[in-house]
Amino acid sequence: MDGYEKLEKIGEGTYGKVYKARDKRTGRLVALKKTRLEMEDEGVPSTALREVSLLQMLSHSIYIVRLLCVESVDENGKPQLYLVFEYLDSDLKKYIDSHGRGSSNPIPAKTIQSFMYQLLKGVAHCHGHGVMHRDLKPQNLLVDKEKGLLKIADLGLGRAFTVPLKSYTHEIVTLWYRAPEVLLGASHYSTSVDMWSVGCIFAELSRKTPLFPGDSELQQLLHIFRLLGTPSEQSWPGVNKLRDWHEYPQWQPQNLSRAVPDMGPDALDLLSRMLMFDPAKRVSAKAALHHPFFDDLDKSQF
Amino acid sequence: MAANFWASSHCKKLLDQDEVSKVAQADLERGFTPEDVKLMKIQFSSYIKSIGSNAKVRQRVVATAIAYFRRIYTRKSFSEFDPRLVAPTCLYLASKAEESTVQAKLLVFYTKKVRPTFTSLFPSTDDKAYRYDIKDILEMEMRLLEALDYYLVIYHPYRPLVQLLQDGNNTDMTAFTWSLVNDTYRTDLILMYPPFMIALACIYIASVLKEKDTRAWFEELRVDMNVIKNIAMEILDFYDNYRQIPEERIAAAVSKLLTRM
Repeated sequence: MDGYEKLEKIGEGTYGKVYKARDKRTGRLVALKKTRLEMEDEGVPSTALREVSLLQMLSHSIYIVRLLCVESVDENGKPQLYLVFEYLDSDLKKYIDSHGRGSSNPIPAKTIQSFMYQLLKGVAHCHGHGVMHRDLKPQNLLVDKEKGLLKIADLGLGRAFTVPLKSYTHEIVTLWYRAPEVLLGASHYSTSVDMWSVGCIFAELSRKTPLFPGDSELQQLLHIFRLLGTPSEQSWPGVNKLRDWHEYPQWQPQNLSRAVPDMGPDALDLLSRMLMFDPAKRVSAKAALHHPFFDDLDKSQF
Repeated sequence: MAANFWASSHCKKLLDQDEVSKVAQADLERGFTPEDVKLMKIQFSSYIKSIGSNAKVRQRVVATAIAYFRRIYTRKSFSEFDPRLVAPTCLYLASKAEESTVQAKLLVFYTKKVRPTFTSLFPSTDDKAYRYDIKDILEMEMRLLEALDYYLVIYHPYRPLVQLLQDGNNTDMTAFTWSLVNDTYRTDLILMYPPFMIALACIYIASVLKEKDTRAWFEELRVDMNVIKNIAMEILDFYDNYRQIPEERIAAAVSKLLTRM
């Protein structure tokens, strides 16, 4: 890796350390993601392999972090893989935190609209290519503050799928952004799990604080039910057949605007469609892009 | 389904007959003929399948591994990349890409276990192929990743097959067409045609052999029947001419691999 000058460690990805570095040939800043060899004798981690192959397929979109190249090097006789990504100076979590708590200094409505549009473009791109992300959260969305760009990163958990879907493991999406069907142990789920996460992120942009900050699976469900009401066979056919369904306290749906008081009617309507309990009724990324919320957005900039 | 496949790197990299059957320069110099290469690929596809069955991986993993193997030899030579190491390494990579990793040491174990049924591939015990170990697989893994340009997502005919059979009310042919699809991996078809076309060709063959009238259904699909028939011909050619390959023909091809240059 002599061609790169490591500047600082900027994070720990799903499977390895990430460094900010400079490409000595071009002077360009890059993010270097070094794969961690999980077990001594198992070569390239499968999470890294999946991320690389999915990125090869997806990263020609401007809404997905660009994989510039892959470098394999021998370190002490062990093969190491470095993924070289374009460098962005921030992520959405840092961006939200930089606006502080409370109602002063809100994130500008135009910025929320633009970020949501770019996020949905990226998600639609993944879904159109048969890939669900499964771990969308503010930390995984990279932001270029100056240019106002947002790009999806960390596809390590993403999986190429072809319908019909089979059952996947349950421990995937970070709790706060995890869809109710995953929390309830559904054996089949699909791209709509990402749309739930997108909804949670949308609300967080408006509130500057997480919508459903649960610290256990049960707490997570109760957070959701307290705001959206306890789901029933009417609102979500099949819910009481899900593996982890139990009897829960019966809450009535609250007015969503109490959780996101700064949202206008169009934003609220779009959010409510993303937070539908029934995955089949939840809005798709492609459909969300045509929602009236984006009507006054200048799309020529994208 | 189609939308996913059409947007994929697999789709964009479909090859034509000349590209898949080309013999690499280094192999030509060793006297390899296109026929040798074809036989080697068939035999190594069986070898991968056999290791895979022993390791109890899903059919999908075996299919992906064979697709990698075949794709690699459209780009690299047998002389440079020893197929006896490439084959288990493809299975190793495929098991990771398909989310059901098989440990490298188990692969080495099963490779040794099935070797006696593939003696023509291992003519001499002095051969380095007898001593391939975990570290060789891990080294080869890196070289294969580069050779494949890190494109690992492969679409297979199995899912479209199930959907198409349901659509045409032909689920009674599932077992038969499924085994036809399995056998398409003895050919380079997976590198050349969209998976649903391969699935359709298998349904086409099955309906002819089982005397089921699917003509109206095919007509409604509005697919290019000439392409379907070409694929079917290729599959039937395999059954007619390559189902049983005499050991000595394999041995003759392998001996060219072992010639010192």
